[in-house]
Amino acid sequence: MALINLAAREINYKIVYYGCGLCGKTTNIQHIHRRVNPAARGRLVSIATEEERTLYFDFLPLSLGAVKGLRTRFHLYTVPGQSFYNASRKLVLQGVDGIVFVVDSQVSRLDENVDSYLNLWDNLASQGEDLSKLGVILQMNKRDLGSIFSVSDLSELLNHTDSPVVEACALTGVGVFETLKTACKQVIAKSAHS
Amino acid sequence: MARRRGLIISDEQMRLVDGVLAKLQRVSGSKFVALVSTSGQPITTSPPGVQSDTLSLAALAAGSFAATRQLAEVLNEREFTLLFHEGKESNLHVVQVTDQILLLIAFGRETQVGRVRLYTSRALEVLKPIFEPAEDNAGNNDMVIDREYSREAGAAIDGLFPERTD
Repeated sequence: MALINLAAREINYKIVYYGCGLCGKTTNIQHIHRRVNPAARGRLVSIATEEERTLYFDFLPLSLGAVKGLRTRFHLYTVPGQSFYNASRKLVLQGVDGIVFVVDSQVSRLDENVDSYLNLWDNLASQGEDLSKLGVILQMNKRDLGSIFSVSDLSELLNHTDSPVVEACALTGVGVFETLKTACKQVIAKSAHS
Repeated sequence: MARRRGLIISDEQMRLVDGVLAKLQRVSGSKFVALVSTSGQPITTSPPGVQSDTLSLAALAAGSFAATRQLAEVLNEREFTLLFHEGKESNLHVVQVTDQILLLIAFGRETQVGRVRLYTSRALEVLKPIFEPAEDNAGNNDMVIDREYSREAGAAIDGLFPERTD
């Protein structure tokens, strides 16, 4: 559930972009940072290696403004996708309200997607969380490439929570904001019923 | 690891907390003190507005502290309960208040570490009981996030994010 500061009239939600290495998590955040109204966003913080692979997380705060007198913010995070950074992924998941699971649609990346999905379930379970109770969106990324799986095939494998699915090409921005909108609305809806 | 719980902070709790933080900042001689959640969200600072980028500060401090706890686990230490960053001009002291709350104290070379640690440990004794009800009441958010809030937030989300992305 979100952090609600009644004294400051603030609500903060945490949304984490999850997925295997090079699936496009950071690309999503970078596109949002470039295209969203500058007055509504804070600084994009990236903790990356020299090769620009995410080492710890990317962080981008977005302000929705006042809603019913409550200043509402979404804090967007990515996790490092590479398998050996699992300790970092667990830390970023603490206090999460919503997950955007970014799927690399390429046939050659199937095993990595499945491993990452199972890893997400494991990490949430280790924190006493249940993926079915969080706001979850599946973003089928890299739909512009050749040799990709169909959305229905990927959904059958990776959408056990019957979550909304958005097709995307994060590099060009297609589907990036649709994903974000859906995720933001879903975390609010979920928190209203928590 | 602690099960995820939300956190609702009331006006009365914040009034008490702001009083404790203002006193801590004054007597410890620190530049500013801040409360953040362990999930990386800012709660309050004293003096108010002294730090312009509290969002990044909260996210990075929480991440750093969480990493420190994992380091303790790797080293078979029960827990590292504080974190200290020493710089040329300023230092940052991070200490855990509750499962969900961290206290940050930023101070310069003119202030001794021992003084900061002494007053911080006293402040913790006062802060902990203030937040226990906040964590217990975290499920009672129906009055805040109701259907009207959800509807208005949905409209604001549609207005904020652009339709065209190319």
